[in-house]
Amino acid sequence: MPVHLIDGEPIAARVGRLADAFDDTDLIRLSIERDGVTVELRRRGGQPAPVAEAAAAPAPQPRHVDTLRSDVVGIFRLGRPAPSLGETLAGDRELGFVEALGIRNPVRSLGGGSIVAILAQDGAAVEYGQELFEIDRG
Amino acid sequence: MRKTEPPSNTAKNFSKSTADKRRGTPTIFRKVLIANRGEIALRINRACQELGVLTVAIFSEADRDSLHVRQADEAFCVGPGPVPRSYLNIPNIISTALVTGCDAVHPGYGFLAENARFAEICADHGLAFIGPTPRVIAAMGDKATAKRVMKEAGIATTPGSDILPSVEDARRAAEQIGYPVLLKATAGGGGKGMRTVESPAEMERAFASATAEAEASFKDGRVYLEKLIVRPRHIEVQVLGDTHGNVVHLGERDCSVQKPSHQKLVEEALATNLSSKSRAALHEMAVRACQAVNYTNAGTLEFLVSGDHVYFMEMNTRIQVEHPVTEMVYNIDLVKEQIRVAAGEALGYAQRDLKPSGHAIECRINAEDPRNNFSPQAGTLSKVVFPGGLGIRVDTHVHSGAMVPPYYDSMLAKIIAFGETREAAIARMERALRETVIEGVNTTIDMCLEILGTREFREGRYAIDFLPNLLRPATVA
Repeated sequence: MPVHLIDGEPIAARVGRLADAFDDTDLIRLSIERDGVTVELRRRGGQPAPVAEAAAAPAPQPRHVDTLRSDVVGIFRLGRPAPSLGETLAGDRELGFVEALGIRNPVRSLGGGSIVAILAQDGAAVEYGQELFEIDRG
Repeated sequence: MRKTEPPSNTAKNFSKSTADKRRGTPTIFRKVLIANRGEIALRINRACQELGVLTVAIFSEADRDSLHVRQADEAFCVGPGPVPRSYLNIPNIISTALVTGCDAVHPGYGFLAENARFAEICADHGLAFIGPTPRVIAAMGDKATAKRVMKEAGIATTPGSDILPSVEDARRAAEQIGYPVLLKATAGGGGKGMRTVESPAEMERAFASATAEAEASFKDGRVYLEKLIVRPRHIEVQVLGDTHGNVVHLGERDCSVQKPSHQKLVEEALATNLSSKSRAALHEMAVRACQAVNYTNAGTLEFLVSGDHVYFMEMNTRIQVEHPVTEMVYNIDLVKEQIRVAAGEALGYAQRDLKPSGHAIECRINAEDPRNNFSPQAGTLSKVVFPGGLGIRVDTHVHSGAMVPPYYDSMLAKIIAFGETREAAIARMERALRETVIEGVNTTIDMCLEILGTREFREGRYAIDFLPNLLRPATVA
């Protein structure tokens, strides 16, 4: 195994000396780059500089949630296997159906995402426009 | 969707009208779907409540906050605002009736009330249709067929044509009958799909607009022609038939105060200045017509009356907008009678038991601008105050803050005034109209007051050209 040298000194010896020196300071973090090697030291239990960290964090992306509604009046049935909360949908899938006048009207996910709400009970009468599922599209 | 706990399922609050007193315990329906909106949906809901029958309202997304939705025991949205996708959405309406466990459907007026196929579909799904049989609706609701049936029964009809498949057929028929003629929707009512044609040059345009309007209003664009009788009165007879072969009439209504679009604005019962010969002929023909087709449930035969000549015009196989004036003078709840007859009960009274008393007038309060060709108005009603007092009845679905959607008929309310005499009823109606406040849209209140104040109306000497003539000077100016 090759031994890395920093300024001609083995890396482990150099890091040990740096650690001793770091202990004698009030620093929380120390980063040194030399000869293509970066050494970073953090104080155990220490807090990173809060302002600098917050400014660097990416803003949360807005989630897109679709509501699937019934376009007929009838009896709502969950699909088989029954969809569950939090379930990830890889693509379009029949999540259930509304039975009206003996006709099965499928309720499809219309794409992938994850199920964040199931808003009608299996076997319940549903009206036109009634909310059935919420799908988080990411 | 809204559900409430069902009340006790026993009949309650029966009124003491003639019909109620003559019957024993009714065997009526458990739950009725009301396939309508507005004031007639509330009117049917009231009748059901008094009979101890549960109700299911249907509504469009535009009507979600309507009074009829709140007052029914359950309510289901059946579609978006436009009529074809909601109040004419037969699959969603039938499905609502089935999932809520209804055993009957009341169609009200307009929408699907005279759609024989709808009545048939109800029957196919084990739902009683509160109206005549599909066969009779098809025969009598179809105006051209109705005239043929009436002719065969020996009843005088206005000269007219069969269904006209094309404008060329319409031109040929008009030449035979002689101009002026009236193009009418065979599935029609309420003046929809009706056009006056004075000359051959007007036919093409009138035919196109009448068929388009009929198709949009009734899902049936077929039209036929009738000879235009000059200055007739529009007088109609209320009938009731049961499934045991009994038929009675409940007198006549004068509906000659009509807008230029032929829609009625003021109606009264009974008709004034009608010869005893004409009255007897009207009543006799109405009952004979019903017997000829084994008519059941409530219906109205419309006639044109010119002097002592009486011509059958058409039959409406449903409850009419103006039915309250008949209820007031006969003290019979026609909607309750419809429900009972549809449940198989016998009328329980004969013609000799029915005696009218007093006089009733109805004014239609519409969200319209009478001085701008009665153009319909939509918007929010910022303030609504209806009249009260002895002899005043208000059938309405609106209130302060209510929205008037653009999709539906513009009628906001019907004010009905009853008096011992016609003069008393007119005075009471004038007082009631002055008490009424509707802010936010233009209405027909002032127009109705103007009508009541004319010499022609006060003397009871007016024909169907009365209102168009009254409007004419203002239109010219």
